Amino acid sequence: MVVDARGSWCPGPLMELVRVIQEEEVGTEFELLSSDEGSRKDIPLWIDKAGHQLLRIQNEPGFDRFIIRKSHS
Amino acid sequence: MPAGNPPIPAKMSVVLTEDRVDKLIPFSTLVSGAVAMGFEVHVFASVWGLNAFRKTSPSPHPPVGPGHGEEGARLERTLADRKVPSWKSMLSAAKGIGALHVYACSQSMELFHLTPADLDPIVDEVVGIATFIDRARHAEASYFV
Repeated sequence: MVVDARGSWCPGPLMELVRVIQEEEVGTEFELLSSDEGSRKDIPLWIDKAGHQLLRIQNEPGFDRFIIRKSHS
Repeated sequence: MPAGNPPIPAKMSVVLTEDRVDKLIPFSTLVSGAVAMGFEVHVFASVWGLNAFRKTSPSPHPPVGPGHGEEGARLERTLADRKVPSWKSMLSAAKGIGALHVYACSQSMELFHLTPADLDPIVDEVVGIATFIDRARHAEASYFV
């Protein structure tokens, strides 16, 4: 699943991530796309605090792709 | 986690006294970011801050505050042209993912001759300052906008 938050303003991509993680099953992997510069630090920070898994970050032209796994309910 | 012993969420309190977009956007960014980070956020809207929550307040973006000249006008155009989400829609999104409580200042309600029906439904209740102080007790961070 891809959550495309490109063009969304801070903290829009983070809000989208929190909403989607609440809705999905434990173990779900998905991609979050963000063009917000702040996401590069905000998204890993939130995932760490919330105890989910950031599998990797891919820097693409004009945006970043965060690959995330929901680790717990 | 032992049963009957839920974690106590971190708490934040914000007093809002402004109704111009250049204050409301930083306000809604702060509030929605804090909710996303798991804070329980308590907002007290007073005087112009309460005015911002009237159903008749300009939407999606109120004007920029005075004294910013051409730069202020440019900001207003950018907010409109780039379809920046309104401060109220940011608060609604925050309510959808976490704990956000918005209180209307009872004194300001009287100053403006308002009833709860005049306010955006995002406002939870009308309270006096003592109730807000009590709800915001033990906040880790408190802001005045």
